[in-house]
Amino acid sequence: MMLEVQNLTKSFGDASVLNGIDLQLEQGHVLVIIGPSGSGKSTLLRCLNVLETPTSGTIAIGAQRIRFEPGSKPKHAEVLLLRRQTGMVFQAYHLFPHMTALQNVMEGQITALRRTKTEAETRALSLLEKVGLTDKADAYPHQLSGGQQQRVGIARAMSIDPKLLLFDEPTSALDPELVREVLKVIRQLAAEGRTMIIVTHEMRFARDVADRIMLIDDGVIVEEGPPEQLFGSPRHERTRQFLSKLSENYN
Amino acid sequence: MSDRTERLLHIFIESFMPLLKAGLLFTVPLTLISFALGLALAIATALVRLSDFRALAELARFYVWIIRGTPLLVQLFIIFYGLPSIGITIDAFPAAVIGFTLSVGAYGSEIIRAAIISIPRGQWEAAYSLGQTRLTTLRRIILPQAARVSVPPLSNSFISLVKDTSLAATVTLTEMFRKGQEITATVYEPLLIYCEVALIYLMLCTVLSALQHRLERYYERYHAK
Ligand SMILES: Nc1ncnc2c1ncn2[C@@H]1O[C@H](COP(=O)(O)OP(=O)(O)OP(=O)(O)O)[C@@H](O)[C@H]1O
Ligand SMILES: [Mg+2]
Repeated sequence: MMLEVQNLTKSFGDASVLNGIDLQLEQGHVLVIIGPSGSGKSTLLRCLNVLETPTSGTIAIGAQRIRFEPGSKPKHAEVLLLRRQTGMVFQAYHLFPHMTALQNVMEGQITALRRTKTEAETRALSLLEKVGLTDKADAYPHQLSGGQQQRVGIARAMSIDPKLLLFDEPTSALDPELVREVLKVIRQLAAEGRTMIIVTHEMRFARDVADRIMLIDDGVIVEEGPPEQLFGSPRHERTRQFLSKLSENYN
Repeated sequence: MSDRTERLLHIFIESFMPLLKAGLLFTVPLTLISFALGLALAIATALVRLSDFRALAELARFYVWIIRGTPLLVQLFIIFYGLPSIGITIDAFPAAVIGFTLSVGAYGSEIIRAAIISIPRGQWEAAYSLGQTRLTTLRRIILPQAARVSVPPLSNSFISLVKDTSLAATVTLTEMFRKGQEITATVYEPLLIYCEVALIYLMLCTVLSALQHRLERYYERYHAK
């Protein structure tokens, strides 16, 4: 297994947001997470990247494993190692505004992986080529469209050679006509056999790209399965409700 | 030209070089040194106040509280005239440097702290997600962006400092203003001499404002207009 999550919980004060998440993902698989607003999707991704410290549970990515316990802080060195196993793509891109596209994609390589500038630049250029932005290498983020910024974001997430890529609603901030160019890049990564977890509201895309779909509600996994099953013949009432609400919104 | 005008013009020209010399020899170095040291102190103070080291953070808060709550003139008097009575005697120039540095450090730390806080959380998270440590993130991601935000208010402090150095006259340092006082005492033309002093301060500040403008333009290169 590329990723193994056991009994993960997360509370903010009294509010418990994740209530015992168990999750496994094989190398090369794509998991799409769907669920209503406030159900805990972002919190789950952020826990996997330890941007939030889980309250309890175990996260193992590749050979790196951390066990979280209430009231005790995980070792910083271990957190750093775990973080380097994942690449995060944010809804609002969060590119570094004082760096060019190329420098954004070099940054993690130079600081976290301690690659030389030349190595980092070579790798960054090939990643920018992959997302179709070779000609924008020297542009600053504010000179790029939302879709282009998000593609730089994807290249940056891949720059530290993570075993697992995490996407938190990567197209939600985009104008409709820019969504396609970003989804195209993600589809291509799926076709290359990248291991990914994607939170999205784009159901057609989810159906195409996912090996498995997972519905989260109130911090628990309601249902999980291959797309045909989850969309075609959902087993749980809550899944049916969620899907019918979604299609109402579209019509 | 009347005799009076001729005399004034003569005094003006005669005193220009001595005043400018006092400015370049004392006012400018005092400003530059105090600002450079003060800026370092300001960054350190801001970082300490934002850190998890509670005791240090409290100490930094105390320092800022004292400096901001008491007049700079009184602080200079304490350092130069007060400390000798407990056996600490400091020459005029270093005493002034200490006074101004402490002042820049306190006010500057508030500017820098506000600038750091103003950088969106997403920037920290993006850097963390790449596996950067807190210190690396500060150094490479947060401080460069905070620097851009701080340029206008820090330039203000800098220009204020140029003028505040005239307070050093009160601790016997013959910087530009005190030089003006000395000249006045011999030629009895206070209006002329003090206006001349003001003029040279104005020149210095104008040059600095132009530099500030260029610095702001430099930082705008990565910022949407
Ligand atoms: N830092 C925080 N402090 C307190 N509560 C939080 C924090 N972050 C998230 N929450 C709460 O946790 C719950 C889950 O939030 P989360 O962002 O994970 O939902 P989501 O499924 O991603 O929703 P959306 O589809 O709107 O993005 C929400 O009720 C939210 O208010
Ligand atoms: Mg979310």
